[in-house]
Amino acid sequence: MDTVVACSTPFGSSALSVVRVSGPKTKSFVLSLQKNTKKIKHSSPLLSSFLDEDGVVFDEGIITVFFGPNSYTGEDLAEISCHGNPIIVDQIISLACSFGCRIAEPGEFTKRAYLSGKLDISQAEAVSSLISSRSLEGAKLTYKNLGGELSANISSAKETLISVVGEIEFNLDISEEGLQPDLFTKSSQKILLLKNKMEEALSGFKKTNILNLGASVVIAGPTNAGKSTLFNLFLEQERAIISKVPGTTRDVLQDTINLKGMPIVLKDTAGIRKTKDKIEREGINKTQKELLSADLVLFLGKKEKRKKKDNKYIYIFNKSDIKKPASGEYDIQISALHGKNIKALKNLITKKLSGGSSVSSFILTSKRQVENIGRAKEHMELALKGLSTETSLELVVEDLNSSIFYLDKITKKTTKEDILSSIFSSFCVGK
Amino acid sequence: MKRIKNKYDLVVVGGGHAGIEASLIAQKMGINVVLVSMDTKSVGRMSCNPAIGGLAKGQMVKELDVLGGHMAMFADMCTLQSKTLNLSKGRSVWSPRSQIDKIKYEKTVQKYIKRVGLPVLKGEAVSITEKGGKIKSVVLSSGEEIFCVSAILTCGTFLNGLIHIGEKKIKAGRMGEENSIGITESLQSLGFLSGRLKTGTPPRIKRSSVDWSSGEPGFGDKKPKPLSYHTKKFIPKDEPCFAFRTNKKTHDLILKNINKSPMYSGDIDSSGPRYCPSIEDKVYKFSHNPSHILQLEPEWTNSEQIYVNGFSTSLPEDIQLKCLKSVKGLENVEFLRPGYAIEYDFFFPSQLKNTLETKKIEGLFFAGQINGTSGYEEASSQGLMAGINASLKIKKEKELRLKRNDAYIGVLIDDLVIKDTNEPYRMFTSRAEYRLQLRASNADQRLLKYSKKFNLLDEKMIKDLTKKVKKTKEVEGILNKTNIKPEDINPFLKKSGEKEINQPTKASNLLKRPKVLLKNLPKIKKIQMNNINKNFIEEILFEAETKIKYSGYINRQKEEIEKTKVYEDMIIPADFDYNEIKSISNESREKLIQILPETIGQAQRINGIRPTDISILLVYLKRWFHVKRNVNLKKK
Ligand SMILES: Cc1cc2nc3c(=O)[nH]c(=O)nc-3n(C[C@H](O)[C@H](O)[C@H](O)COP(=O)(O)OP(=O)(O)OC[C@H]3O[C@@H](n4cnc5c(N)ncnc54)[C@H](O)[C@@H]3O)c2cc1C
Ligand SMILES: Nc1nc2c(ncn2[C@@H]2O[C@H](COP(=O)(O)OP(=O)(O)O)[C@@H](O)[C@H]2O)c(=O)[nH]1
Ligand SMILES: [Mg+2]
Repeated sequence: MDTVVACSTPFGSSALSVVRVSGPKTKSFVLSLQKNTKKIKHSSPLLSSFLDEDGVVFDEGIITVFFGPNSYTGEDLAEISCHGNPIIVDQIISLACSFGCRIAEPGEFTKRAYLSGKLDISQAEAVSSLISSRSLEGAKLTYKNLGGELSANISSAKETLISVVGEIEFNLDISEEGLQPDLFTKSSQKILLLKNKMEEALSGFKKTNILNLGASVVIAGPTNAGKSTLFNLFLEQERAIISKVPGTTRDVLQDTINLKGMPIVLKDTAGIRKTKDKIEREGINKTQKELLSADLVLFLGKKEKRKKKDNKYIYIFNKSDIKKPASGEYDIQISALHGKNIKALKNLITKKLSGGSSVSSFILTSKRQVENIGRAKEHMELALKGLSTETSLELVVEDLNSSIFYLDKITKKTTKEDILSSIFSSFCVGK
Repeated sequence: MKRIKNKYDLVVVGGGHAGIEASLIAQKMGINVVLVSMDTKSVGRMSCNPAIGGLAKGQMVKELDVLGGHMAMFADMCTLQSKTLNLSKGRSVWSPRSQIDKIKYEKTVQKYIKRVGLPVLKGEAVSITEKGGKIKSVVLSSGEEIFCVSAILTCGTFLNGLIHIGEKKIKAGRMGEENSIGITESLQSLGFLSGRLKTGTPPRIKRSSVDWSSGEPGFGDKKPKPLSYHTKKFIPKDEPCFAFRTNKKTHDLILKNINKSPMYSGDIDSSGPRYCPSIEDKVYKFSHNPSHILQLEPEWTNSEQIYVNGFSTSLPEDIQLKCLKSVKGLENVEFLRPGYAIEYDFFFPSQLKNTLETKKIEGLFFAGQINGTSGYEEASSQGLMAGINASLKIKKEKELRLKRNDAYIGVLIDDLVIKDTNEPYRMFTSRAEYRLQLRASNADQRLLKYSKKFNLLDEKMIKDLTKKVKKTKEVEGILNKTNIKPEDINPFLKKSGEKEINQPTKASNLLKRPKVLLKNLPKIKKIQMNNINKNFIEEILFEAETKIKYSGYINRQKEEIEKTKVYEDMIIPADFDYNEIKSISNESREKLIQILPETIGQAQRINGIRPTDISILLVYLKRWFHVKRNVNLKKK
């Protein structure tokens, strides 16, 4: 393996930057970078000046070296904290490169950690999701998976499957007597429970995704309803142009706000009305698109009679300071201009976005996991179907094994031995 | 006394089921072979139960038959009754099983050996000599030395065999036969690693002491099917077995005395098999089950000796007897001999290549119970494969390796060479991930290509089976193309509560419904059986139907097999240095060094080896091959 180097903090000016080096040349490179010591201790921060090839000091910072396998990557690893000036960061990286390191590919540190067995796949995925997580709460959820919660969840699901397979196999494979009388009902019950859990995890993913990437909340309604005013109120700054001439906001404006730790991408749209103006029409088209993909729509207007009740919409009566609504065709009344009842609106928004329910303990953080859980669930459904006839017991096993196979893709492999032990475990009572 | 010829191409040690298959196939392949056994009178003896076949084992016997083995044929000649097990469950687990006349069986084997002129030598092998890593000779206790190019050891339960009956211990290889001392020590001194295992057999009782009117007679199938394609006429006697039932009193007695069973008191270490559940296990585990079946099986025609199937036990003799006497009809039962256990040496099979040749000494093969397996069929399968591969090696031809999707025999050997053995290995259908494809009824479709390639069957049989396989495919094709009219099938569908069809529908689509069978469809004229061996017709139709019924699942498995094929074909050179790999855990490295897998596919299946270990191994292998460019990554 070669040695890789990269800046681990966001590129650009900041107070501090961290450059990471991982691989066999780490130690010798670090020794060449500073002059204070010839001995480097594991995991003990070293304050030092940094020298260039000619021995000239160009910065000062802290170097911490972790020796493999007791490091994140499992290899020798150095974290070099320097001042957050791109020129200094560049200098360290190019020194490393002339020392024989190469620039790491995106995610390579994590990949190395995975390859050296420090992380399993679900943990590795949690790391990449953690890095891109935009909110604290999302980060917390993801962090749970890094700690192995997903692995634990999958393992327990697999255990259940294995025990069911074991029991069916016992009936197919060993017992020459008739079938265990409660085999079908017992197996069905266990699988059904598991299937529901998978479904919960899948719907939970939607929420986790919102937490990590931010929910898309679109403000819509007729022109002049006060959309831009509300938008600005939320941003607590004047961004959109507020004007009394209808149809000024022709494009979709967006910015990120944070409601109770929940990241929200708030979007202000063009008002919806018939118009001949080409540019404005385009704006309205864009609005329609946004409405389709939105997680939540703040609609400054009446519930439309024709439309079925849509959970995605909050119907808002604005300008409550100057008029009153006719009847209960709205979810809430506010005054955007005077900031009235905005707190209640915010509560309504966060409640709607979190779906009212608490987050499942079975948290998925990547598309790959979702796909595999989905496949596992499909095979559980097939198995449930097959459990209704005796002649297809072997096919039930086939489907359950496929479920295990897809769960295995998320964490570690199940072997035939696991299944056999399950078949026999009940016989070893005395041992 | 005739002077013994002391030079052979192949020496097979042991006249058990493994040794018989090994020596017979070698002789068939034109090898100059000799079978050496301690007691020539016991050649072909069945040590335990009077049956061949059964769950998973029946499939193996059918495979043996297609690969030129003899067990199926011998069994058909001595069948007392024949029955297909698991008929109420899915087709891939349907397994043929035959009750066998044990005495007739060994006589049949010995007569056959004489007829084909296989040289048999009475003698006890006591050591193996080698030169430069190659086998040189097998030395007998008489001092005689037989020089050879290859040798196959099939010593069964005989190596330092020790029988336990309660407290009593008897040195023996089997009840009434001497054990064998020397081979273990000789192999150990050559660097082989041995261990010890234990297996048991239930009591034998006196026929005249049983009240047979209390038992429920069980007969074989009405239309019994032979195990062997070679068998032309198959009309077994259909001697019944009798089912007796344990009752609450039996169970109470067992539970009361359960701590006297060494299994429960902790006296027996875990070297016995988990899967031959003893009666105390059954009573303990299925406590809701008020009764268990004991099958009383005759060991030969009208035999006085009766085998009590289902009553394996490690309880003391007096309690065994008391328990049996609590069973209705066995009140006056008398033992001919109590159940007993035998302990013996085996050699860890991870020291073998997939061909069953040892990795240490060229030309030396192990087969049968010596490799830690249990069962006649498991032993025969290994004997046959060792015999074929030793012969091919002598002839300097390419070896025969069966894949896991080819046969149970392939699963057996692959499992053996990469597994930690801590109990006797027995085949189960659940060991085969491609079980749906490994049916008793399609052994010919799976394996005929190998018997053709290596000339394992006579020409006539190859021709007949080739026709059979072709016809099966043809019928499957016809069913995939033929439309069935609604009026021809709806009456049946209606009667069986199935959804009716309203337009012509492919026969295959109808057959995919669980309740619809080929016999329910109107006669399809295109299906013609001219020129086909009459005995094969039923199986051809059955197989075509089965392949259609399973097609969804089987196609998915085939894709999976295709995906993993690259790894199965990726050879790890024998001299690859695992110490070079720094980034895998010590445990993984130790496992790999201990087992030395022959392919990446095998490495993947080793218990405890993680996918990451394999990715790393692949990287290093690539580099290794890069350095030694002349070697090819793919099998030649
Ligand atoms: C007590 C007992 C209980 C069993 N219970 C079961 C059971 O419940 N279910 C089941 O499936 N299987 C059972 N078996 C196992 C089954 O009998 C064996 O697995 C099978 O017979 C092994 O075949 P083999 O060819 O490897 O060896 P064996 O059939 O044991 O034959 C070994 C042969 O080698 C010869 N031999 C040994 N050493 C030498 C030597 N040094 N020189 C020359 N000849 C030698 C012997 O004379 C014998 O002919 C049991 C076996 C025993 C003994
Ligand atoms: N009285 C009152 N006027 C409001 C309120 N909200 C917005 N307005 C006014 O309504 C007009 C249109 O507002 P704007 O936000 O541009 O509407 P948009 O077209 O929906 O974006 C402006 O003059 C706002 O000052 C409110 O709550 N009360
Ligand atoms: Mg506006």
